[in-house]
Amino acid sequence: MKRRDSIKTMFLGSIGASLTLNSCITTEDKVMLDQVWKYNYGRTYEELKWDYKVLTSKFFSDSELKTIEKIANIILPPNEKGNIKDAGVVELFEIIAKDFSTPAHDEYGEKVLRRGLNVFDKICNERFGVNLIDCSDDQIKSVFDSIAFNDNKDEGLQEAIRLFAVYRGMVLTGYFTSEVGINDLGYKGNTPNVWDGVPDDVLKDYSVSYDEEWISRCVDQSKRNDLAEWDDDGNLLT
Amino acid sequence: MEIIKSKEEYDVIVVGSGAGGGMATKTLSDAGIKVALVESGPYFDPADPETQTQLKWPWESPRRGAGTNRAFGDFHMSYGDWSLDGEPYSSVEGTDFKWWRSRMLGGRTNHWGRISLRFGPKDFKSKDYDGLGENWPISYEDIKPYYDKLDKLVGVYGTKENMFNEPDGFFLPPPKPRLHELFYIKGARKSNVKVMPSRLSILTKRINNERGICFYCGHCDRSCSVYGDFSSSSCLVIPSLKGGKVDLYVNSMVNEVITDKNGRATGVSFINKENGKDYKLKGKIVVLAASACATARILLNSKSKAHPNGLGNSSNLIGKYLHDTTGAGRGVFIPELMNRKIYNEDGVGGMHVYSPWWLDNKKLDFPRGYHIEIGGGMPMPQYGIGWNPNDFNKFFGLRTGGYGDSLRDDVKKYYGSTIYLMGRGEAIPLKENYCEIDPNSKDKYGVPVLKFRYKWTDNEYKQAKHMHDTFEEIAYNLGGIPLGNKPTKKDNYGISVPGEIIHEVGTTRMGNDPNKSVVNKYERLHDVDNVYVVDAAPFVSQADKNPTWTIMALSMRTSEHIISEFKKQNI
Repeated sequence: MKRRDSIKTMFLGSIGASLTLNSCITTEDKVMLDQVWKYNYGRTYEELKWDYKVLTSKFFSDSELKTIEKIANIILPPNEKGNIKDAGVVELFEIIAKDFSTPAHDEYGEKVLRRGLNVFDKICNERFGVNLIDCSDDQIKSVFDSIAFNDNKDEGLQEAIRLFAVYRGMVLTGYFTSEVGINDLGYKGNTPNVWDGVPDDVLKDYSVSYDEEWISRCVDQSKRNDLAEWDDDGNLLT
Repeated sequence: MEIIKSKEEYDVIVVGSGAGGGMATKTLSDAGIKVALVESGPYFDPADPETQTQLKWPWESPRRGAGTNRAFGDFHMSYGDWSLDGEPYSSVEGTDFKWWRSRMLGGRTNHWGRISLRFGPKDFKSKDYDGLGENWPISYEDIKPYYDKLDKLVGVYGTKENMFNEPDGFFLPPPKPRLHELFYIKGARKSNVKVMPSRLSILTKRINNERGICFYCGHCDRSCSVYGDFSSSSCLVIPSLKGGKVDLYVNSMVNEVITDKNGRATGVSFINKENGKDYKLKGKIVVLAASACATARILLNSKSKAHPNGLGNSSNLIGKYLHDTTGAGRGVFIPELMNRKIYNEDGVGGMHVYSPWWLDNKKLDFPRGYHIEIGGGMPMPQYGIGWNPNDFNKFFGLRTGGYGDSLRDDVKKYYGSTIYLMGRGEAIPLKENYCEIDPNSKDKYGVPVLKFRYKWTDNEYKQAKHMHDTFEEIAYNLGGIPLGNKPTKKDNYGISVPGEIIHEVGTTRMGNDPNKSVVNKYERLHDVDNVYVVDAAPFVSQADKNPTWTIMALSMRTSEHIISEFKKQNI
């Protein structure tokens, strides 16, 4: 089944009733459907069904998402190269919370990501009497100073330290797998090209070189289109 | 139960479309033989944009490519992995085996590493060298002509090295090493470890006008849309379908080989996964290529009066001698490679250089060798990048963790500074390592499933220990720092779980003596003269190589044997 047809079938199956009754799609349904349409990456029907489930349900409350946004912006402050909004980091938290919900993931969303919010809020409340979202940036940073470094051995903070490491990991992985993040990193590949060895200036920088014997047997890229022919001993003739 | 029977009788029914089944289908149908190819998964063409993952970016997946649905990540081209919904398997208590299944046209050849090594003369006769295991009933000279044809038909790059047990072939030229591979060459040579260009079935040069040439995206694991790498789907099955001699049945799970009252095969039965109905196909010959363990399962489930404990199982050896390649690996941080200049270093989908086995086991405390594969470079980011952005700070006495703008710089600083060394070794096949039918469990189609029993022995543990000693030596010699702790005896020297390297072989081993083997030297069951096995099940031993090239060479040889039998009208 083609992807378009698959999504249509699922869509009609789940909210089709309201469609025919009201002959319109509610705004919220539309937002969710747009999410599903956004991704096109060669899924099987079973995988598409899973994605549909993940993308058309809601895990975090709006206020939780705002808290995540605030945390993410302090872990990785915006600059001219990119920011967590353009990188879709908060959306990734929402998706992973639902996606890692199988038994193998041990309810990652509930036990790790939401647990993180609760633990961070608890520390903010103990220190400042309010939830994280209502703290100033300086107050939040003072909390992070005690839970963001792996050398803090304070036993009462070990869970918070562990959970903060997950938040930091999620923020950075979300950023560096986004379009802005990959541009920021400078990654140059994933595009058709002809590899012809390490650039000369790089070889020089590291004082390494190709040895002649090795390189003489490597592909001559100017002949890559010539049909390969060999003699009987396996020597390439073309 | 309704069973739908085909009217037509095929010359040959091939079960499974991976390396072995694809090659049999192509060889047989090219000779004018009418073939039914039965595949348990869906149709798959790497060129189809509907299913393509090649050249996709991580953000095109909602989970940025994480491995929720596909164990090796969203963009990996395998439908199925260690587990399949509704198709369980188990292991005897105290043992563990991991079984990878790819259910799709072309099977695992759509995602494999394309490492295409011939077995050498020693690999067919290793018992002569150390008294362990069993010799093959054939020698390198028997299979060499098929390796030669395979090289030209499918394409493999490499170099002539004139090493006794690493036979040369008809090679395309290899790509130049990447920077981290130059570091590896330096370290390996200092450690007296042989290092040479790798041998991968990727087209660095045109071999015909049907297939494109590698454009260096670094992702053969996603299957190539221009057919620049070898997959059975793109290079064998799809071309065969154009000849008009092949009927393809997809989403069709073969559960049994059907026999007549004399015990000869008359066809197969399968379940159509789309409508749940049972079908029967008639054929003069049945060629099994469902993968070593799935083939064993089909045979063991094919019980009849003539074959009460499974088809071809008079020796009671089906499922026995199951073995996988051993594996161990270590990451190495290279401080000199911090803060790299960034350029496109994707290269081919796999290593450009590797180390074949370079030592003599007679001088070591373990019987068989291993080769070393190398990973690293500046690959496309995927889910997980930046997770521990400055872990390597510990090597400089700096704090790890933190938050803020400096984390961006940390990720960039360490990007491309790690390489991975992976040993892949030969295990000794044992009768005590096996798969069998689990009497207490069926899959969702009602077919009895497999139970495994597999344990490594000291032969393999000592080999893994040697791998780690070697990795450390090479790591220091290339100016690197090995990561994590070196595994000790307590950790079984970090050896892989059996099955994890996805080279499982040996379940219907080949031999001249029907009491000690299941198939003969043409991969035909000793007990039944019209059933053949052309996947890795007939392997007597899995060398320190990768099995695919040998699966295909043997399948070609067996197919030519079947053709000659047809010509002689023995069938």
